[in-house]
Amino acid sequence: MQVLFNIPGPLREFTGNQSAVRVEVEAGANLLQVLQALFVVYPGLRHRVLAETGETRRHVNIFVANENVRYTGGLATAIPAGAEVSIVPAISGG
Amino acid sequence: MIGQTLDHYRVLAQIGEGGMGVVYRARDEVLNRDVALKLLAHGALEKVSSGHLLREAQTASSLSHPNICTIHQVGKTGNDFYVVMELIEGRSLCDLITAMGLSMEIVTRYGTQIADALAHAHDRGIVHRDLKGSNVMVTPEGRVKVLDFGLATRLDRDEISQLTLSYTSLESKLVGTLPYMAPEVLRGQKGDHLSDLWSLGVLLYEAAAGKLPFRGNTGFEVTSAILREPPPALPSTVPYGLAAVIQRCLIKERADRYQRASEVREALEAVQGAVLQSRHPSEKTRGPRTLVLRGMEHLSVKNGDVLLLVGTNKGAFFLRSSRDRSRWDVAGPYFHGQGIYAMAYDGRSDRHRLWVSANNVMWGAFLRSSDDFGRIWTNPLEASIRFPTESGASLRNIWQICLGRNDEPEKLYCGVEPAALFESGDEGESWSMVHGLYDHPHRPRWMPSNGGLILHTILPDPCNKDRMYVAVSAGGVYRTEDRGTTWQARNNGVRVMFLPEKYPEFGQCVHKIVLHESRPERLFLQNHWGLYRSDNRGDSWQDIARGVPSDFGFAMLMHPHNADCVYIVPVESDEFRCTPEGQLRVYRTRNAGGSWEALDRGLPQKGAYETILRDAMSSDSLDPAGIYFGTRSGTVYGSRDEGKSWKKIVERLPQILCVKAAVVHMDGAPTAKPNLKSKIPKRRKTARTKRVRRGTSG
Repeated sequence: MQVLFNIPGPLREFTGNQSAVRVEVEAGANLLQVLQALFVVYPGLRHRVLAETGETRRHVNIFVANENVRYTGGLATAIPAGAEVSIVPAISGG
Repeated sequence: MIGQTLDHYRVLAQIGEGGMGVVYRARDEVLNRDVALKLLAHGALEKVSSGHLLREAQTASSLSHPNICTIHQVGKTGNDFYVVMELIEGRSLCDLITAMGLSMEIVTRYGTQIADALAHAHDRGIVHRDLKGSNVMVTPEGRVKVLDFGLATRLDRDEISQLTLSYTSLESKLVGTLPYMAPEVLRGQKGDHLSDLWSLGVLLYEAAAGKLPFRGNTGFEVTSAILREPPPALPSTVPYGLAAVIQRCLIKERADRYQRASEVREALEAVQGAVLQSRHPSEKTRGPRTLVLRGMEHLSVKNGDVLLLVGTNKGAFFLRSSRDRSRWDVAGPYFHGQGIYAMAYDGRSDRHRLWVSANNVMWGAFLRSSDDFGRIWTNPLEASIRFPTESGASLRNIWQICLGRNDEPEKLYCGVEPAALFESGDEGESWSMVHGLYDHPHRPRWMPSNGGLILHTILPDPCNKDRMYVAVSAGGVYRTEDRGTTWQARNNGVRVMFLPEKYPEFGQCVHKIVLHESRPERLFLQNHWGLYRSDNRGDSWQDIARGVPSDFGFAMLMHPHNADCVYIVPVESDEFRCTPEGQLRVYRTRNAGGSWEALDRGLPQKGAYETILRDAMSSDSLDPAGIYFGTRSGTVYGSRDEGKSWKKIVERLPQILCVKAAVVHMDGAPTAKPNLKSKIPKRRKTARTKRVRRGTSG
């Protein structure tokens, strides 16, 4: 199945300036699996989205459709076919 | 048979023998082409009516697909039933699979073609029933051709039970088939498109791993494994996606298997894309290895210039001046919006390299470097400084970049949060954590200070390559005498205000330590409350806070040429953390802490509530030395007379986190650092863009 990723501006230098990229994964994959498929194609995203521990960075939010995955099972969130996944920087700073 | 003619096919040579019969190369005398002619064994005909076999073969001959061996004709001559097929030059897949398996790219490429062939046949109601490596040919061009669609004999229950009980004594035609048979077929059900997908899973497993998933010495063992055992784990070299496809083909419960060959094909295509791209990621998708900053003014740096690197919480600023240090060009901000906690200028070994620790609150902390004073920066795809997975830690920030000794120009060190030391022996290309310190039994009891649990100071002993000091907030000073293998707490005499025990072995909130290369046994320490000196490499410390308005402070600087001279900027208290009485004053000792003098000429002495952070003070290496510091309110002050008088160099910057000064040497010019061995640079790296000139004031 295909998953569409929305890429935030600061990370587009690692996706050839594309704001959205499609990745093929097997049906039934969860968020971690589709992210890993994304990182195979766009390796510059890996350490900017996930920390060494494999968790999402503290100030990065990931949405599947309009749902923040923090409330739907985190990286184990199931990804339906044709899903749109958005990587979004959190509102923070100083 | 050789030399005989069947219909208009003249048999030329035998090219194979399989379960279904013998295969010959034959000449089609009508169309003048070579074909494969399979003469079916009499046994095959005994099981089913020749009419039925003929119908199946005729149906199979209707298949036209690039990955299916084309059947030209089926016929019977006398008692001989024969099939005329496309002659395929190539090797069978079972001959190609070695004990190491095939490459993942090949497995997915062949697998996709086989799945596509199955999808085509299944859509037309044709099931293979005997898919295995010997029935798949690979042409020299790499095209897969599946043979013998619809020609497999259907085994009855008796045959299966015979197969199970007497594996080794079976006819060769069945021995090769058993390991590929689906559980439901072994239970006596008729093979269908789902059992073809199982066989495809076995074939893919074999191709990826180099061995069959269900093995045994007897038919019983093999059958038992197929019916009851899960397939053994695939080697770790098999990518997750491919392993998942294979596993799903090999689900014993038919309903949970892939339901269509086209699904397998699509899954393999996705894996194939990922495998290919991971092997050959294009520059477009990888992103640039370097980032070229255009549209901004960069410094134009000449030989002998003084360079000031100013890190703020919103980016880096670079300043340059000629040796007179009266006017400064300013460039920046670089790394717009990111916190620049550490910088270094590496002029060793003919380099002119800027190092920056850029911390993006969203995307993490990355080391960046530039060899042309800021035009082009490395842009690492992966974070070069990473905690090992087994540590369970993740990098929060890089607080210190420390050059190795002058005679170790490939060496670099970084101090990070959570507190750990990293080292590089290849100019910063790759980094590894120093386990000796991270595994120290004290570490779990270190406490985070206001800024976090950070390793902020690294002091290699300039004369002894085995010895190094680090300082941790709040853990204290640690020293190694064996290049980092073991570390000892060195805090004897350093007072702790925030613990019941005032002189513990460790746990001090040390803010900075410094030493001079001419007297490496003597250290100075600015503590969270307290100023100290050690004359014995940190074994013991004595209080030297005499004549300072406060012994609380962050920054501490060693004079570049005078081992008795140290600079500090006292702040009022840990609650207030601003310069006392609204007066911005640098304090200096010139007798190793015997006394301190205020240096305030040119600095605001009214309403100046400033904070100078631990890495925000630096000196150049000229004589007289230039001393520089930056405030949290965004002003950089400089003195070109060793602190006697100060001038404002730049103001209204974001909060200043670090300041580093250096003198740039190019084209064989004499080095100003007295002990630096003279090196002859090979290349000129001066930049040629318009300058931004800002006059100094004050």
